Amino acid sequence: MSLTRRLIVCLDVAGGRVVKGVQFEALRDVGDPVELAERYEQAGADEIVYLDISASAEERATLLDLARRTAERLFVPLTIGGGIRTADDVGRALRAGADKVGINSAALARPEVLTESAGRFGAQCVVASIDARREGEGWRVYSHGGRTPTEREAVAWARECVERGAGEILLTSIDRDGARDGYDLELTRAVAGAVHVPVIASGGAGNAAHVRDALQTGHADAALVAGILHDGVTTVGAIKSVLADAGLPIRRRAA
Amino acid sequence: MKRLTLFDYGAGNLHSLGKALAETGHDVRVETDPRRAVETDLLVLPGVGAFQLAAARMASGREEMRAALESGLPAIGICLGMQLLFDESEEGEGRGLGVIPGRVERIRSPRVPHIGWNGVEPVDEGAFARAGLEVAYYAHSFVCRPEDERVVTAWTTEGDDRFPAAVRKDRIAGVQFHPEKSSREGVALLAEMVREALR
Repeated sequence: MSLTRRLIVCLDVAGGRVVKGVQFEALRDVGDPVELAERYEQAGADEIVYLDISASAEERATLLDLARRTAERLFVPLTIGGGIRTADDVGRALRAGADKVGINSAALARPEVLTESAGRFGAQCVVASIDARREGEGWRVYSHGGRTPTEREAVAWARECVERGAGEILLTSIDRDGARDGYDLELTRAVAGAVHVPVIASGGAGNAAHVRDALQTGHADAALVAGILHDGVTTVGAIKSVLADAGLPIRRRAA
Repeated sequence: MKRLTLFDYGAGNLHSLGKALAETGHDVRVETDPRRAVETDLLVLPGVGAFQLAAARMASGREEMRAALESGLPAIGICLGMQLLFDESEEGEGRGLGVIPGRVERIRSPRVPHIGWNGVEPVDEGAFARAGLEVAYYAHSFVCRPEDERVVTAWTTEGDDRFPAAVRKDRIAGVQFHPEKSSREGVALLAEMVREALR
């Protein structure tokens, strides 16, 4: 056997709650991230990501408490992203209960933060989060939640992030995010071919076949899925069945 | 009820591991002083951080810890904690406990770090089968190379590398993966390991 391809479920949180309630398999609308994370673990999700989109410092302050509550109940890896600026922030998030920490705008402003974090906590917990938008033949990197264009090109920036210590790349296509018409396969393949660390494809999943394509055609090691699961369009189990049918190695829950 | 002590090197998330250990029904404590950490029934070396920093945190009590393990204190090392049972690491300066002879080297695989769920091949039936753990969660760049492969109780393969997923020597056991992050089956394996260590 070798590494399986991962299906990672992302929850947007603010003020310690999921931002948009999730309809979990026709059950009631659930707003507690911990309860949702647990349910997705039971459904077979390989990892959980909390993306903190808090607008204020007051809201953000609840994130570490949320990580703590989650870590005591979740027994698959938890990644936290959003608002991480320094290696000290990374340390606090890990200490609170995160297994990995996503760094985005702070790395663009000061790439050394990747090296400092990897040096203290190991590369395996440093996830470089990259938001990119297609422009001509390439992709431009955006910061601040995809709102601010930078001078960076996505493939070159991914390489630099890895050289500086990132152990994983979370790659989001801004063009595809929320559109549900499939991941940007060219972007995913370009970055996966340029770095030696695992690449997580994000943005654009509309169905299970899109996830399969991101892994098979896009060469991603993992795929991030959010809306289509939360809205009940498909399930973790259904996506994994499609992946298995395509011959991709995946983790199945023991019967 | 026995006392289980998690040695805290100050790096990472101990919550999931603490919770998983607490499910065994034993008394779980966290200790930052390496000398006090050995005043316990089972020492647990958790798995987050860099070798150099962890070795430095352990240095002041290294001899006491090593002596306690040599004289039969049961111990479980997880990921980096397993690597600390060995002599030294390519990752950085500092000495491991040296209770299992061998070195820690960089993994030989196309993707480094080795992050994700990978198969575990037990050497014989036992704890893994009882726990139902066949695939476990890994997050590491370095692997253990024991001098004597008879200490290996399970293997994992990635790329060109086949490396120990689990080791055991007397009452000292280590796993390269994270049982506390390997879903319910991982938590069940940890309980099996605790049971075996305290037997």
